[in-house]
Amino acid sequence: MQFNFIPNDIPLPIPTGGLEAVDVVLTVLLVVAWLVHILFINVLLGASTGSVYFNKRGARENNPVFDRVAYLLTTPVTVCENMGALWGVAPLLLVSVMFTPLFYAATIMNSPQWLHIIYGNIAAFLLSYLYKYTWHKLEHRKSLHLAIGTAAVALFLTLPLVFMATVQLYLTPTTWTGNTHFWDALFRADTFFRLVHFYLASFAVTGLFMMIYGTAKRKSDDEVTRQAGDVLVNTGKSWFLLPTLLNLFAGPLVLFQFPSYGIENFFNAGWFWLIILGVAAILGAAYLTVKDFFNPELSKGKLWSIVGLAFVTVLSMATLRHGMRLSLTSEAMAQAKTQSDEFVARSKTASDEAKTAPKAVAVATVSAGEAAAGKQGCLACHAVDQKLVGPAYKEVAKRGYTEQQIVDLIYTPKPSNWPDFAVPMPPQTQVPKAEAALIAQWISGLK
Amino acid sequence: MFDFPIFAMPLFGHRFIFAFDAIVHVFVSHAAVGGSIVLALAQYFAIKNNDRKFDELTYKILFTLFILATAVGALTGIGIWVHVNIINPAAIGALLRVFFWKWFVEWIVFNVEMILLLMFFLTWKSKPIGTPAKAGHFKLVVGYAVASWLTMAIITAILGFQMTPGNWLASEFPAKPDYLASLMNPSWLPSLGFRTFFAIIWASAGAIALSWFYGGDDLETREKGIRFFSKILYLSIIPMLGFGYWYYLQFPQAAKDLFVLGVITRRLAANPQLAVQVTLGLVTLVVVSSAYLFLRPKKAPMLAALALILGSGALIGEFERVREFVRKPYIIYGYMYANGIRVQDMPLLNKEGYLKQAVFLPPELRQITPENKVKVGEYLYLFECRYCHTVNGINSVKTRVKGWDEPTIYHRIGQLNSPATPYMPPFAGTDEERAALAAYLVTLNADSKN
Repeated sequence: MQFNFIPNDIPLPIPTGGLEAVDVVLTVLLVVAWLVHILFINVLLGASTGSVYFNKRGARENNPVFDRVAYLLTTPVTVCENMGALWGVAPLLLVSVMFTPLFYAATIMNSPQWLHIIYGNIAAFLLSYLYKYTWHKLEHRKSLHLAIGTAAVALFLTLPLVFMATVQLYLTPTTWTGNTHFWDALFRADTFFRLVHFYLASFAVTGLFMMIYGTAKRKSDDEVTRQAGDVLVNTGKSWFLLPTLLNLFAGPLVLFQFPSYGIENFFNAGWFWLIILGVAAILGAAYLTVKDFFNPELSKGKLWSIVGLAFVTVLSMATLRHGMRLSLTSEAMAQAKTQSDEFVARSKTASDEAKTAPKAVAVATVSAGEAAAGKQGCLACHAVDQKLVGPAYKEVAKRGYTEQQIVDLIYTPKPSNWPDFAVPMPPQTQVPKAEAALIAQWISGLK
Repeated sequence: MFDFPIFAMPLFGHRFIFAFDAIVHVFVSHAAVGGSIVLALAQYFAIKNNDRKFDELTYKILFTLFILATAVGALTGIGIWVHVNIINPAAIGALLRVFFWKWFVEWIVFNVEMILLLMFFLTWKSKPIGTPAKAGHFKLVVGYAVASWLTMAIITAILGFQMTPGNWLASEFPAKPDYLASLMNPSWLPSLGFRTFFAIIWASAGAIALSWFYGGDDLETREKGIRFFSKILYLSIIPMLGFGYWYYLQFPQAAKDLFVLGVITRRLAANPQLAVQVTLGLVTLVVVSSAYLFLRPKKAPMLAALALILGSGALIGEFERVREFVRKPYIIYGYMYANGIRVQDMPLLNKEGYLKQAVFLPPELRQITPENKVKVGEYLYLFECRYCHTVNGINSVKTRVKGWDEPTIYHRIGQLNSPATPYMPPFAGTDEERAALAAYLVTLNADSKN
């Protein structure tokens, strides 16, 4: 397969020390760090949405338990936004090193929108802190407080748009043109279905988190917090179930939107077994949840069975996701490597030639003054008999300055003498006295 | 060729959007590193004296630091990387490969730092002063200070490397980096010492100002805070100057020659004395305002606190600007020019031409014809010049070539790295390409001539 636009790879080795085992370590790190990052982000999106939702319900129904649920959810938001950003760094670092030509190309095509992951994030962070730390102060100005919370959630929800457009773009170099841009990538079917799948998964994961968090809060000394724990567990069940079922439909749509050569490589390499494993495990988790859906007591054993099965699913999804990455990018990466090896070889030949080539001739024919003028940068703007940035030196000579006057003009130019020139000459204080004298002598000798 | 798709930031230019993120990061990250040390000292002082009010003041300063460090500091730090990634991918790609494992270690330390900060901040209220739990809580801030200083130590190595890479290339072709030499580059330790102490000074200045604000009507606490943090500030000045001088000695001579220009910008190059005046003015502002606050903590007005922040912040900004400026024309000294072209690729590019290697170039522009000459020139501008210039915004190339005819521009392009503009990389490409770039640049002012 030939790709039209593949940048060369960086001409430095990937720092594995040449050991294949280190390659494996990098891959494992990528899969694991990325999974941790995504789980934090899932809970960030779900919990911040949930907090605003319960805050509003609490205010409308004047229910302190819902208000407590909303407040309790701000702690995981603080932890998840910080840890989520932090654990995003590792995959970013790894993808940047392992897939440099493709990933960098995609982020550049998606710029300046790509910078939204920084500035949009900062704004969302600050709003979420404002939301959390004005909880009691704005108790009686709920609409303002809710507006702040909603703004934070809305901003957080825009960040995946930028990420997904970039991820889909770097995975599919066949779609690149010389002029591909962010909006092209965002409004593609593959990006759309992946976003749907991702947002749904965020709520499903948050549902699981709510079940765990609620179970822990049920043990609180505080009555309202205990009731809030009940609400969290019950809400968690439906938040987990509904998006999970929808994702059984979204998942295949994601898969079959990839370019056919990628799907082919994916199936040929046997990665599809992980799909089967993931679906089976999540069906098990869903079954256990349904069985105890109306049972307010969710025992610890059952809770951890559900979470354990769901973890099998996310782990197999994270792994098969890497499988798809390899299936889609291996050929493009190979092309990048071939291109850059070939370039480096040609560059070496040219550089060796330049080193051994005889130095430019005829040093003797250049006077000491002209040599000094070249060395000091005068010839960047002046020539002997041609008007350039500044006047030709023959024109200067015609004005009949003394050599001392020319030296002075080097250090303190008088642009008013040359009104026809656009750029005033800056003082050339870097020129040593002795060389200035040589230059002046040379100029005044030009006739 | 190691080129990528073209992103050109209109009007603001690459340098500006990068500088915006970077300077915000410098302010917050140095406040966080210095702040972690200053906060640990303040906690030690509060616990030793069982001083409830000073403890409360420390919490308020911590709260401010927490919001700034996590929301702004951490994200602009990732931002530096994300900005360089779209602005100069060849450079960051090279740096990542040389410094990968150091960066990875930095990330682990950053994790420790963040977790300790979260624990220290979120559990503060449950470990009040005067209880035995407070001693354990104090250990968190010590760990936080150590971890945050270590992140600075590693990042400083990368910055030092860009300026003074030392003997990091074990071979030119194919390039084999010497990973230990890149870490132990000559300016690492001096710049680390310099940054450590200016971070403490900057954080102390911030803590002094915050003591003024949070002290409120409680003048005793305000005085205690201002005096305590001022002492830390004063004690750090001598070591900062010592390390600073050692650091200065490491710069290559060509970089030292650009120091003055780095302070005052090209526009004011005719008045080099301004560089010294600006610096001395800012130092005076810091000295006077901090002395006023120290001697008359109860009386000093808010203006003094603001002047202290402004003065020390401007000095930091000046330092970072100079450091970035004097590295030119390189982004990795001696290895890669600011526009992502490796020094060792120059002979090839001059021989075969830039266009032949460019990946993201419409195929019909690979051959220069009289019809497409201007268009090709525009691409060459984008490939080589957009790293520092914009067409008609900041550092506009249109203004640079105003009033020049095509032969003049052509001549000037051949002399970019001359002593007249030593901070510019040379033009890379064939004579024909140089002429095409000139043909494009002369069109920029075509309308204003008539």
